[in-house]
Amino acid sequence: MTSNRPDFNFKSSSSTSSRNSDNINTQIRNVDLQPSSSQLSIQSNSWRHSSNLGSRGVRHGSRSGVDSEGFSMSRKEIEIDDDDARLVYVNNPVKTNESFEFSGNSIRTGKYSVITFLPRNLFEQFHRVAYLYFLIIAILNQLPQLAVFGRGASIFPLASVLFVTAVKDGYEDWRRHKSDKIENNRMSYVLVNDRFRQKKCKDIQVGEVVKVSADETIPCDIVLLSTSDPTGVAYIQTINLDGESNLKTRYAKQETLSRVPEKDIISGLIKCEKPNRNIYGFQGNMEIDGKRVSLGPSNIILRGCVIKNTDWAVGVVVYAGRETKAMLNNSGAPSKRSRLETHMNQEIMLLSFFLVTLCVVVSACAGVWLKRHQDELDIMPFYRRKDYSEGQVENYNYYGLGMEIFFTFLMSVIVFQIMIPISLYISMELVRVGQAYFMIRDDKMYDATSNTRFQCRALNINEDLGQIKYVFSDKTGTLTENKMEFQFASISGVDYSGEKTEFYGEEGGYSIQVDGQIWKPKMKVQVDPNLLKLSKSRNDTKSSKDIYDFFLALAACNTIVPIVANTSNPNEKLIDYQGESPDEQALVYAAAAYGFMLIERTSGHIVIDIQGERQRFNVLGMHEFDSDRKRMSVILGYPDSTVKVFVKGADTTMFKVIDESLNLDVVRATETHLHSYSSIGLRTLVVGARALSVSEFDTWQTSYEIASTALMGRAGLLRKVAINLENNLSLLGASAIEDRLQKGVPEAIESLRKANIKVWVLTGDKQETAISIGYSSKLLTSKMTQIVINNNSKMTCQRSLEDALIISRKLINVTHASEDDASSVALIIDGTSLVYILDSDLEEQLFELASKCAVVLCCRVAPLQKAGIVALIKNRTDDMTLAIGDGANDVSMIQMADVGVGISGQEGRQAVMASDFAMGQFRFLVPLLLVHGHWNYQRMAYMILYNFYRNALFVLVLFWYVLYTGFTLTTAITEWSSVLYSIIYTAIPTIVIGILDKDLSRKLLMTYPQLYGSGQRKESYNVKLFWVTMADTLWQSVIAFFIPVLAYWKSDIDSSSLGDLWTLAVVFMVNIHLAMDVIRWTWISHASIWGSIIATCICVVIIDAIPVLPGYWAIFYLASSGLFWVCLAGILIASMIPRFIVKMFMQHCKPCDIQIAREAEKFRNSMEITRSGEIEMNR
Amino acid sequence: MDASTRTKSRSKKPQYSRFTQQELPAWKPILTPKWIITSFVIIAILFTPTGLLCLWASERVVEIIDRYDDDCLPDSYSTDPDSFIQSNNTNKTCVRTLKVPRKMSAPIFIYYQLDNFYQNHRRYVKSRSDKQLRDPDEADETEDCKPINGNDDGPIVPCGLVAWSLFNDTYKFFKGNKAIDIDKKDIAWESDKKYKFGSNVYPKNFQKWELIGGGALDESKPLSEQEDLIVWMKTAALPTFRKLYGKINTDLEANETITVVIQNNYNTYVFGGEKKVALSTANWIGGKNDFFGISFLTIGGVCFFVAINFILLYVLKPRPLGDPSYLSWNRNQGAQ
Repeated sequence: MTSNRPDFNFKSSSSTSSRNSDNINTQIRNVDLQPSSSQLSIQSNSWRHSSNLGSRGVRHGSRSGVDSEGFSMSRKEIEIDDDDARLVYVNNPVKTNESFEFSGNSIRTGKYSVITFLPRNLFEQFHRVAYLYFLIIAILNQLPQLAVFGRGASIFPLASVLFVTAVKDGYEDWRRHKSDKIENNRMSYVLVNDRFRQKKCKDIQVGEVVKVSADETIPCDIVLLSTSDPTGVAYIQTINLDGESNLKTRYAKQETLSRVPEKDIISGLIKCEKPNRNIYGFQGNMEIDGKRVSLGPSNIILRGCVIKNTDWAVGVVVYAGRETKAMLNNSGAPSKRSRLETHMNQEIMLLSFFLVTLCVVVSACAGVWLKRHQDELDIMPFYRRKDYSEGQVENYNYYGLGMEIFFTFLMSVIVFQIMIPISLYISMELVRVGQAYFMIRDDKMYDATSNTRFQCRALNINEDLGQIKYVFSDKTGTLTENKMEFQFASISGVDYSGEKTEFYGEEGGYSIQVDGQIWKPKMKVQVDPNLLKLSKSRNDTKSSKDIYDFFLALAACNTIVPIVANTSNPNEKLIDYQGESPDEQALVYAAAAYGFMLIERTSGHIVIDIQGERQRFNVLGMHEFDSDRKRMSVILGYPDSTVKVFVKGADTTMFKVIDESLNLDVVRATETHLHSYSSIGLRTLVVGARALSVSEFDTWQTSYEIASTALMGRAGLLRKVAINLENNLSLLGASAIEDRLQKGVPEAIESLRKANIKVWVLTGDKQETAISIGYSSKLLTSKMTQIVINNNSKMTCQRSLEDALIISRKLINVTHASEDDASSVALIIDGTSLVYILDSDLEEQLFELASKCAVVLCCRVAPLQKAGIVALIKNRTDDMTLAIGDGANDVSMIQMADVGVGISGQEGRQAVMASDFAMGQFRFLVPLLLVHGHWNYQRMAYMILYNFYRNALFVLVLFWYVLYTGFTLTTAITEWSSVLYSIIYTAIPTIVIGILDKDLSRKLLMTYPQLYGSGQRKESYNVKLFWVTMADTLWQSVIAFFIPVLAYWKSDIDSSSLGDLWTLAVVFMVNIHLAMDVIRWTWISHASIWGSIIATCICVVIIDAIPVLPGYWAIFYLASSGLFWVCLAGILIASMIPRFIVKMFMQHCKPCDIQIAREAEKFRNSMEITRSGEIEMNR
Repeated sequence: MDASTRTKSRSKKPQYSRFTQQELPAWKPILTPKWIITSFVIIAILFTPTGLLCLWASERVVEIIDRYDDDCLPDSYSTDPDSFIQSNNTNKTCVRTLKVPRKMSAPIFIYYQLDNFYQNHRRYVKSRSDKQLRDPDEADETEDCKPINGNDDGPIVPCGLVAWSLFNDTYKFFKGNKAIDIDKKDIAWESDKKYKFGSNVYPKNFQKWELIGGGALDESKPLSEQEDLIVWMKTAALPTFRKLYGKINTDLEANETITVVIQNNYNTYVFGGEKKVALSTANWIGGKNDFFGISFLTIGGVCFFVAINFILLYVLKPRPLGDPSYLSWNRNQGAQ
């Protein structure tokens, strides 16, 4: 297994713990779904609450450098005692379910039944604060003393929202019920009375034995007993579970794989974990025939997986129905709250303060008014406190001054309720859905190679994309393609890195003949003709032998499974090397190209075709990769029964175990080669080997058996065995693999840099590789000063940090003086140093240094350190961070950052599953941030301010009127208009504009990345803008209210007519205000804005055509008078003038970048724009 | 997620449409100096004459207003107006003389104006039953009218505070000794008479019990013909309001003296209100109202002023549109 990348999908040695010691032909397994729950609980505490799905990365978190993995694994094993365990009696469902009733296999993803629908749905809906606020207001309004609005009008808004949501939920649930039914009624074969019979899926019980055929979906979580493969291998595809499409292998235990359930009754007891949602982990053991064998994640197949390349598989059900891991995982990603929304909530607090102030003013005035008229109230014609109708004269509907004030306060809360724009939360959700739709549909973010669209997994942080200041990027698979290609080899000190322009042979690649068929590797590799010639020559020279051993090691020392695939040509077959690690694949393909073709791998042996000659090697043992050793080894038994151990791993750990005395020159030469390889950005591996004598082998075998059967600390013991074996190796050579940069990465980084976004690269690769990738991706330039921090203790770290700070300060001062910003500082720091810096008092210094640097490159970092670096910035600044990565090792950083982006690439889907947004290529980050992020931010920021204004304006108009009604909260505007105001009159345009408006074109935003700065500087939403908006609102409300009042003072106008005038005036104002700020008028914007004005008029007419309402026919009398129209025109013009003047003045005197860019787009021809863009580039 | 949906054959490439790529054709207006100045000038040009027109129209309206509540209170009752107005034995007739300042051509509208009367008070507005007014069968719908809703003898029609407080001062106009006809027909909205007040609903038990709030109603006339009530029940929006009393269909000449004989029945003394009688001609602007003229002239003037300032600004401190050198990152570099 590859090892130059410690954070890669390495295998845990603990997974070998289930190996049976009796069996010398140890199984080789591709443990891709790793156990991890044990670490999660310990390590994720300090981080964001992370889902188990993403835990694969978290588990590597051994900050101190001591690998705690093995220990915790074994601890976990012991911990399964009877209380915590689930006992499953194989093929005995009755006994299994005797003491505990395990859940059956019928699933119910539907949330509701017919009876529970109403209460449950309502309960869930009222979890949202917005609805609760509506509800409380509506309940208050139902008290007779407070009945400001009629029953209907007060409940209508809440009821309509609830109804729409309920219908939507109901429909979704109905569809879930339908699919549940199909799922539950699927047939599968279950062992009943020693014969496999068809049974409905929902009737399967825990403990039963089921049989699944090829291409069938697994109905529940089963522990494999046997498969059609004699070695007990089953291949599965987990695409339904985690989206990974490559085949994975699962193994039946040695003890059970030979038994045929129909004839040979299997009975045993499985003890395993309680159901949990970790799809990458499983712990348990099986007692069978008096022996206890342990079970791991490689022995279980989960519900939803599909059996491939295996005729049948038989397994015992351990988890069924809703307890299956797939079902337990049916929940979304953790939700984040956007920065803008957080700021908005502060302003909403201010608005609540305004609301309370208004209410206090009204109730205080009402108190004063009542006090002043205390004596007159009894018979005052419009108050009439005394009730004379009964014999005894009493106060009617009057509860004393204090209570009246209190009631007035509550009533004013009801009347002014929309001061707090609760509907804004609902509108924001709609807008985000719309924005997400456009991001997903953007064909410039579609990746053709992986056939993936952009994915919006989190729906509530769209606008954060417009304010990013730091991008933390993984390297492999993110900046690079993660498609490994074998490039160079250094074999026993000879560098084979000559020209490689041609493919081998005329047929294009190496091939072999098998039964008259031609077998070819699926991927072609460029070869060095020189090396090829040598590898084919079969003379007995030392170098020829070394080459033989080198390629044999490449072909054998891995966990790749060759799968023979058919082609359109019946005489031609392709060998597809399936495996988790792209590095291993590349090495095996390379070996095949040089004539060492791996054609078969079973648990006990491998078959390699060496230069047309088939050879079979016994695999006597294997020590899988772990992050401590950073190497793996395989023990091969040659056909002539000699035994050799091959080791492959990272140079740092390999050179420690290589016996330099054997050939010092070769070692030195290889080291030089390695350095030159990594300095051009290649990934390197060192290969070594040693012949084992019989006694050595026996010693190893005994200790290996002891270790693998140990009950405690098995992983640690196995590692010790491996370390004892892997020493005194002779150096065979080194390989260099190229991981090519993704398309468009340098340009993307250049754009991001211009947009004033700091790009930090965090990689597990070694320093030279990281730096060379840095150069090729234009992250580093030759003008930059590099500060390298590479220390082994806290003291030295501190010293170099201090030095670096001094240097960087000096450099920055020089830069200021010389007016040349090209000579900036790049910081390169490695994981070892970070161990001493992060979480210590040195963090502050690192932060100070890093914030001075234009580029930061962290190499050799562990996954949790990645998260630590993100946290370093996130906790100390207000700047938005974005983390982008593709692998499991990036999960912690993706979850830590404000915005997490996953690349759906070669390394599986865990990064995507933990991310907020997912896409196919790194370069899509540019349109995502610069275009969509910018738009989303501008739209959302404007929408929030506009909604504040819209609601406050209406409330203020109501408030002014209250001052003229003896402070009694009468509204001239009819209650229905107040209700419809935020539902029909003004709701749609703001949502439409929030989804569709574009301040600048895509082209312009891409040409001038600097325009992104407006989001970083919070130009579109800040406290100042809030106050300006509120001042404008105040002015507009004064105009809207007082122009009609002064016009109709001392006239015979009735309240309904004046109310209609105010309704229309406010709605017109609000829509025209919006229209003034719309930048792009598409037909949809026209339709929504003018449409809602028309809709308002229609609604007002309808309301005034209902005879029982007091305002019957008012609008018609009103509209027939000239005064009304003059009034309306006056209001609209007078209210907009100050705003217009200020806007125009600012536009002229202090134009923002967006303004200038808009003007340039419209008035300067494209030539000019591009030219100035070029000047920009040359600067 | 079926495996087949993931096969390469079915590309997930989003289908191109101008909508999904956010490239719908759009009008992108930018307010250039030319546009800004033009719009301000246009507003100024539109509003200044309109303002003048309003002032002129308002000027043409002839209005006579006379406050009589204090003057019609005999001196002996000035400290206790309530007992004067509540007593049945006091003489409430009051004679006022008005001088016509300019010629008033018919129709001349007679209004009564009340000040400080909150017809929009929440208690007051709610205290009515529109159902009862429309339909004789719903006479019992008096829940909202409490406490003026009736008793065991039956419901009050029309019930509630609004009807109870019906204005009941009466005016008679004399030119010399000759009475001027007051046309009291069609002073209410046609729609109210037709649909809101039933032609088969008759007043019942109105102002019969307890406290008398205001005018009584002729029980033989259906509500739809009680136009004074209909006018009164159209509650005013503001605490100072006028309501139409009637119309005079003859011209009044300049400097004529008119005698008004007022029955001072209505109690505004209890809450410190004022009563006025107003005679006014009308045109398109309604009654006399200088507010519009002034405010429109102000708007026009401000816009004109702003336009001139903007012109000066553009001349003195021009900024080429879309000049990249104004972009922040270019500016900053220049500054260093």
